[in-house]
Amino acid sequence: MIALLLRLYPAVWRMRYADEFAAMLEQRPLGPFDVADVLLSALDAHLHLRGLGAASQSQKGFAMSLRIGGYAAIMAGIHWFIALAANAVNNGGDGAPWIFFVIVIATILTLIALTGLSAFQARRYPALTWAAFAVPAVSTIVALIGFAAIAVTGDSDRPLVAGVNAWGIMSIGMLGLLVGSGLFALVTWRVRTLSRAAAVALGFGAILMFPILSGIGGGWLPSPLEFLVVIVPVAFSGGWVWLGLSALRVSGPVTSSLEGASL
Amino acid sequence: MEPRIPELGRFAEPALLILVSLSDGPKHGYAIMADVEAGTGRPLGPGTLYAALARLEERGLIEALAPVDRRRPYRLTAIGETMLAEQLRDLAEFADLGLRRLGRSPG
Repeated sequence: MIALLLRLYPAVWRMRYADEFAAMLEQRPLGPFDVADVLLSALDAHLHLRGLGAASQSQKGFAMSLRIGGYAAIMAGIHWFIALAANAVNNGGDGAPWIFFVIVIATILTLIALTGLSAFQARRYPALTWAAFAVPAVSTIVALIGFAAIAVTGDSDRPLVAGVNAWGIMSIGMLGLLVGSGLFALVTWRVRTLSRAAAVALGFGAILMFPILSGIGGGWLPSPLEFLVVIVPVAFSGGWVWLGLSALRVSGPVTSSLEGASL
Repeated sequence: MEPRIPELGRFAEPALLILVSLSDGPKHGYAIMADVEAGTGRPLGPGTLYAALARLEERGLIEALAPVDRRRPYRLTAIGETMLAEQLRDLAEFADLGLRRLGRSPG
C-alpha cells in the first residue's frame, strides 16, 4: 500500500523524500484520512513542482543580501572607528590625509551595508526602510562629491555650489548619512529581525555624532559632556559592527544550541 | 495582517505548526506529527506534513539533517526562527486586539 502511494508522487519528489516518507508511514497504521491526505498531496506535488526553485532562489537572495550587508556593516564600523579615532588624535585630521580616504571608504561601505540590510528589512516597513535607504544613498553621493571637490580644489574655502564650499558639501552629505543611519536604526528597532541593542547603539551614535563633531571643531563642547566625545563614536561604529554580526547570525544556519535536541 | 511566511497558500497553517514544533529542537516527520497533534489536538496528515516540509525547506526556513535509520530530522534555520518569531508576535497582537474588542483582558 505504501509503495503504491509513493508511486503517485513525481520522480523528483520521490528521490528526495520517498525513503523518510515511507519510514514515517510505516510507524503507524494508515487510516482513510491518511490515504486521502496522501492522494491530495501527491497531486499537489505534481502541480507544485512547476514552481520549484523560484521561492528558494528568493530566500537565497535574502540570505545573500543579509550576508553582504552584514560584512559591509562590520567593515564600515571598523573604518568609522579608525577614522573617528584618528580624527580625534590628529585634532580634526589636519596633516593626516589618509583619514580622509578612510572616511570615503567607510561612507561607501555604509551605503553597501544599508543596501544589503534594507533589502531584508523592507519586508515589514517598506516605506520607512526605503526612506532609511534613500536618505543616506543620496547623502553618500553628495558626500562623495564633496570629497572629490576637496581632493581637486585642495581644501579650498572657495564657494562651489550656491555659496557652499567643498567642506560644506561634504558636511551636508555626512549629515544626511548620519540622519539615514538614525532612520535605519529606527527601522531595525521596529522590525526586530536584527539586534535591537545594536540599533539603540547606532541610533544613539548617529543622533549625537554631528553635534559632537561640530562641538569638537567649534570648541564649544561643555566639559561635563566631554565623555561623549569617546562614547558617541564608539556607539556609532560599534553599532554598525554589532548589526553586521547580527545580520551574519540571522543569514547563517541556526546555532548549534538546537543540535542534539529531541529527535 | 501582513503574511510573514509567504506564498504557502493552504499550507500556511501546517507550516506554522511545523515551525513551532521545530522551535525547541530538530525532529523527524513522525515526531513533528505527534508533537503537533499533542499540541493542537488535531491530527496533521502525512501528505500535508511533507507538502509543508518541502515548501519550508525550499524557502530556507528549515533544513534537513543527516538521516538516522531512514528518518530524517529537520531543524529551523536562523531565518526560519526569525520569521516564526515575527509571525507569532503578529498573531499575539491580533489576539490581543480581538480580546480587547470583546472587552476581555488579554492573557
